[in-house]
Amino acid sequence: MVRRVKSLLRRRKGIQPQIDSLDDHGSLSNKMDENIDYFRSVYANCSDVVIRPFLIGGMYQAYFIYIDGLANVEETDEQILQPLMNATVKNTNEIMNMLENKIPVTNIQKFTSLSKCIDSISTGNPLLLSDGINTGYSFCLAKWEKRGIGEPSAEVGIKGPREGFTETINVSTSQLRRIIKSPSLKMQELFIGQLTKTKIVISYIEGIANHNLIEEVHNRLERIKIDGILESGYIEELIEDNPYSPFPQILSTERPDVVCSNLLEGRVAILVDGTPFVIVVPTTFFSLLQSHEDYYQRFLVSTAVRWLRYLFLVISLLLPSLYVAILTFHHEMVPTALLLSVAASREAVPFPALVEALMMEVTFEALREAGIRLPKQVGAAVSIVGALVIGQAAVQAGLVSAPMVIVVAITGIASFMIPRYAMGIGFRILRFPIIFLAGALGLLGVMMGIIAIIVHLSTIRSFGVPYLSPLAPLKGTELKDTLIRSPWWKLNTRPHLTGDYNKHRQSPGLKPDPTKGGE
Amino acid sequence: MKRFFLSLSFFLSIFMLSGCWDRVEVNDIAIITATAIDLTEDNQIKVTAQVFIPRALSGGGGLGTGGGDLTLIRTGIGSNLADAVSKLQMVLPRTIFWGQCKVFIFGMGLAENGIREQFDFLVRHPEPRGRAFMFVSKADTEKVLQLLPPLERYSGEVLKELLDFKIGLPVTMKDLDLMLTSDAQNAVLPLIKVYPPNKGKTENESIPYISGSAIFSKDKMIGTIGEYETRGIMWIKNMLKYSTISFKAGNEEEEISVSPVQSDVKLKPRISKDKWKMTIKVQAEGDVVQNETKLNLMDPETIKRLEIDFGKNIKHRIEAAIDPLQKEFNIDIIDFATEFHHHYPKEWKKVKNRWNEIFPQIEVSVDVNANIRRPGYTSTPSGLPKDEVKK
Repeated sequence: MVRRVKSLLRRRKGIQPQIDSLDDHGSLSNKMDENIDYFRSVYANCSDVVIRPFLIGGMYQAYFIYIDGLANVEETDEQILQPLMNATVKNTNEIMNMLENKIPVTNIQKFTSLSKCIDSISTGNPLLLSDGINTGYSFCLAKWEKRGIGEPSAEVGIKGPREGFTETINVSTSQLRRIIKSPSLKMQELFIGQLTKTKIVISYIEGIANHNLIEEVHNRLERIKIDGILESGYIEELIEDNPYSPFPQILSTERPDVVCSNLLEGRVAILVDGTPFVIVVPTTFFSLLQSHEDYYQRFLVSTAVRWLRYLFLVISLLLPSLYVAILTFHHEMVPTALLLSVAASREAVPFPALVEALMMEVTFEALREAGIRLPKQVGAAVSIVGALVIGQAAVQAGLVSAPMVIVVAITGIASFMIPRYAMGIGFRILRFPIIFLAGALGLLGVMMGIIAIIVHLSTIRSFGVPYLSPLAPLKGTELKDTLIRSPWWKLNTRPHLTGDYNKHRQSPGLKPDPTKGGE
Repeated sequence: MKRFFLSLSFFLSIFMLSGCWDRVEVNDIAIITATAIDLTEDNQIKVTAQVFIPRALSGGGGLGTGGGDLTLIRTGIGSNLADAVSKLQMVLPRTIFWGQCKVFIFGMGLAENGIREQFDFLVRHPEPRGRAFMFVSKADTEKVLQLLPPLERYSGEVLKELLDFKIGLPVTMKDLDLMLTSDAQNAVLPLIKVYPPNKGKTENESIPYISGSAIFSKDKMIGTIGEYETRGIMWIKNMLKYSTISFKAGNEEEEISVSPVQSDVKLKPRISKDKWKMTIKVQAEGDVVQNETKLNLMDPETIKRLEIDFGKNIKHRIEAAIDPLQKEFNIDIIDFATEFHHHYPKEWKKVKNRWNEIFPQIEVSVDVNANIRRPGYTSTPSGLPKDEVKK
């Protein structure tokens, strides 16, 4: 059996992925008809591509090629077509001169290669081809319908900016630039995906981000050969260090302020066109447990909230399994009065505690998943049915004991307390093997599960940074932003990621005092 | 791939090999809340278990017992405790679970015959708690377990709660084990009686309560001491939590009551010229809780006089407890033996085997330093005209 699977896998390795390459098409010819025939054949059966013939100055045959809905037609008519049609030109040189000097469009690019021309048309820029000129003129007049900047729906908060990224990458980069105005904020662009040609922007701050890190990000991104990138999740899975881990090793956010705070700490952001989610590398276990609001609230409040979060993290992972372990193996560990009430409520339940816990947890997960996918109008129905089925009917029918419902409810709330959804879902999945271990080996099994998870967490890295840092390896000074949230006047140094780093973030002695300043 | 199959087989073997062999659901255990061990007339061991009935609690929505009993009583008789327990299991459809049993009661008959042989089962078994309380019952043990206390849920809980605030001498299974193996090899266990039921109530509607202690020489019970002496022993062991001491102040007719808040007791053994002496140093602090006299407690001088009388009373209590132990029983249950062993190891070795000859000869002196810190009421005695207040 094993051998067969192996041989199957070996055979699979031999197959090379075949993706159509559109890169090699030669260059534009001097003859207008050849060029137009070529474009006509390339864009055969593309009803959205418009090829519009006209005469420059009433003499020279010219063509406009653009994609309906992606090009700004009004501007094209007014600023390009009109002057060209009305012009009086004697030869092709005059046309070229006119295109370069008399057309009021900010950005005009000249292409001689066919593939460049096609790329430019695909992004929405209208292309002008003229008789006797072997150059295509591309006018940057792309314009398409886009979503306005809205509140980030997956990361809401009470305090802090209310704007989130949008699907359009230019808007996203502009949002970053609006926050960090220094020219040290760099944006390197890159296209990935043979068919989608998705624009990717690597953003970092020169002088803060480590050069090796930037290079590593480049290397990992350039490795990717894929037909299309539809969301930053694709990139995330293709560049992370430990693909089998249930824990996310890359931060994904739709808040510009979160990205900027990470850039200021020397991390690198990767923006992907077509999705509001920007990914940030490297990241650590503890930074995935922090919310942006931790830094906007008073530090005492943030510290308390962080501790509450750590507590509920443990609860979300362990509560059901502890319940199962104690109820099936360690009856002597509960206070007598509690055991008596639990025994009384479990009296009519026909299932073992393990089955009961699994049943309830799976139902809860199903409800959660259904709640996300369903349209808003149906969502209410699901929550009513869920609350009734889980909360009331199951207990009254004697299928599930009331304490189990409480355990599942608390666990559910606990897992939603983790600010990063990807992290919460990782823990939620790990809950199930631990429940099994608890059912088979009791607390011993739970301990084995915990040890396995801790071992795993301490082996993985994110772009060279140990996942559990600064706790393991221990970096004393950085615990100020992990175990507690120190006040801003104490956060003088940046966290150390890898290699050399720009240590000081602010001048020391910022602690406010009525006697300081203005004396 | 190899690694994947290896780890998969490892993971599966956890479930397959362990096989949940000691997994017991709560629905399948008989939770024992109290156990009594006694001797039958034909010298067999009788074990009586008070078993919790979960259904009784779930019926009333967890609020009350409704009328149905919360516990049931089952007995097993066998040649020894292990045998008796296996007989007990024959009449219980669920696995006996000792883990929550916090009360073990020895019957008088068994106690007088020696408890060691049966006690061994409890210590050896993994389930019974080291911190379960041990008792000796004057009343019929089965009857004690059958009582339906009006306040608590079952009689085992009554006994545990009473000991929790130190009404009697709290002795856990671990303590008893240590006592029996200590230098003196004597033990003391709290003694249970049944409180007479209120008028109009059935015989069962009452509670067991703790009255004095049973004294063991080695593992055999040889006598009892009363509540007053038990309290004296608790003074020496510094175990008192709630107690009130009432004493006559000077020449007054009436009494003053003081509730000790803090006390500290130190045992200081001394051997000089073959004379074994033990000094018990007591440091006690208390608040006045009642003043029957006409004395003005706001006067520091009066308080000073009272402190002497307060100290005398404590001294008397301690002496009263030690006296019968030395003269009547010749049993060292206050562990003077260990104290001498620690301070005079060489001398102790010589007398080790004839400790019962030495113990009655020990000169005990009690040295009490008592303080009254707060008069409790910042005024002259209540309800008394000023001119009647005594200095």
